[in-house]
Amino acid sequence: MPYSKNNVYRDYFVRRFGIPVDIMDNYEFYESTSGVWAFSGAKDIDLSKLDAEVVGIRALRVSKALKPTTAFLRVVGHYATKNVVQLNSEQALEALNGIDIEGVCGSLHGYVIIRTEHDVLGCGVCREGTLISQIPKKYRPDKTWL
Amino acid sequence: MKLEEYRDIIPNFEAFLEAMQKPQPYWIRVNTLKISEEKLISRLRAKGFRFDKFEGMNAYRIVSMPVKHPGATIEHSMGYYYVQDLASMIPAYVLNPRPGDKVLDMAAAPGSKTTLMAQLMENRGTIVANDTRPNRLRALGSNIERLGITNTVLTKGDARTKKFVIYFDKILLDAPCSGEGVFRKNPKDKMPGLREHLYLSNLQKALLKNAWRHLKERGTLVYSTCTFNPLENEEVVSYAVDKLNMEILKVEFDVPHCKGVARWRDREYEHVHEYVMRIYPHLLDTGGMFIALLKK
Repeated sequence: MPYSKNNVYRDYFVRRFGIPVDIMDNYEFYESTSGVWAFSGAKDIDLSKLDAEVVGIRALRVSKALKPTTAFLRVVGHYATKNVVQLNSEQALEALNGIDIEGVCGSLHGYVIIRTEHDVLGCGVCREGTLISQIPKKYRPDKTWL
Repeated sequence: MKLEEYRDIIPNFEAFLEAMQKPQPYWIRVNTLKISEEKLISRLRAKGFRFDKFEGMNAYRIVSMPVKHPGATIEHSMGYYYVQDLASMIPAYVLNPRPGDKVLDMAAAPGSKTTLMAQLMENRGTIVANDTRPNRLRALGSNIERLGITNTVLTKGDARTKKFVIYFDKILLDAPCSGEGVFRKNPKDKMPGLREHLYLSNLQKALLKNAWRHLKERGTLVYSTCTFNPLENEEVVSYAVDKLNMEILKVEFDVPHCKGVARWRDREYEHVHEYVMRIYPHLLDTGGMFIALLKK
C-alpha cells in the first residue's frame, strides 16, 4: 500500500484537542487510501522501498471531514485539553456499548475525546448536546465481561 | 507417546511428562505504554483476579479469575494488558531492544513478542514486523492497534526470500516450529513426526540465512522456537555458527532453565549447547521455549 508523508495532520490534533506540540512531534503522519496513519518510528525509514502494509496505527479517517480514530485517541488523548467529554463510570459503559448520552456535551460540537477519571475511552461526536459514541463495535464489552 | 523420545535429553523427565498433561496456566504482562503495573493489577484484583507476580519481571501468573478467559475484561479491550505465557516473553528480553534501535521481527504474528519489544523500546526506534499470511497479519494489526503500538511497520512476505531494504541492529526470529512446547495449551494438536521436524529445520535455516543477510555487522539475533526437538533448535543454531560464521553468545537471563542438548542421535552440538537456553514446562509451569543469541 503506498504511503506518503504529510505532517499537516499533526496540527489537527493540536488545534482540535489542545494536545501539546511536543507530544505530537513524536509522530510522523502518512496518508494512504485507507486514512492517515501516525508513526513514531525512525524518520529515515523509506516506506516505499519497504513495501509497508501498515505504518504505525490509523489516526484519522478522511471523508468529508477528518475523523479521529479511537485507537489513536487512546494513545494521545490523555494530553488533550479541549473538546473532551468527561463521563462517570456508568456513562462510560453506555458509551462503550454505543448508547447515545444526553446532557454531557455542554457547548461542545463535533468530534470529542471521551474520557473518564482514569481512562481514555475513544472518539465521540457531540450533536445538539448529545454525545454519540464513535467507539468501534469491536471494543464493545460482552455481557459476560467484567 | 512421542515425547518419550526426549527422555534422555530432558532432565527430570517424569516431572516434565506430568507438567505436559496439566492445563497451562495463563500469564499476563501489563502494557506499560498505557498504564502502570500497580494501577492495572490493583484494578484487576478489585474485579476478583488473583495473581502471582514473577519477581523482577512484568509477568503475572493468574491464580484464579472470575471470568472464563483472561481477556474478558474492559481493561483487556483497552489494551492495558496482553495474555502471554512467561516463557514466550523471554526471547524479547534476551534480544533487549532499546529505544532508537531498528529491529526486525521476521515471523511476527500474532504479535506477542512484537508488542513486548515495542514496550521495551518505549514506542521509539522502529520495528519491522513481517508475516506471510493475510489473516495472521490482520491479527497482528489488531493487537498493535489495541496496545497502542506506533513504532511498527507491518510487511507481508515470505521471510526466506523477502528483501527488507534495511539493515537491522537486532533481529528476532521466533521461527515457525512444530510447537511441542505449547501442546499443553492445545492438547488436541497432532504430535509431529520426523518428516515434519526435518521440513521445519530446513525452513528455519532458510529464514535464519535471510535474517543474517539483513543484520548489521556486530548486530545481534535471537533465534527462538516453542518446540523441544533438537533438529529445530541446536541443529539450526549450529548451522548459523558453522555455515554463516555467526558468533554464539551465552543467553543470560535469570529464569530457571536448562542448557541445550549436546548430542541428538548422530548429531553433535557440543559447540553450541552450553550457550543456549531451554525452558521446560515443569520448571516454571509455562510452555516450552528454546532461545539462542547470535552475533554477526
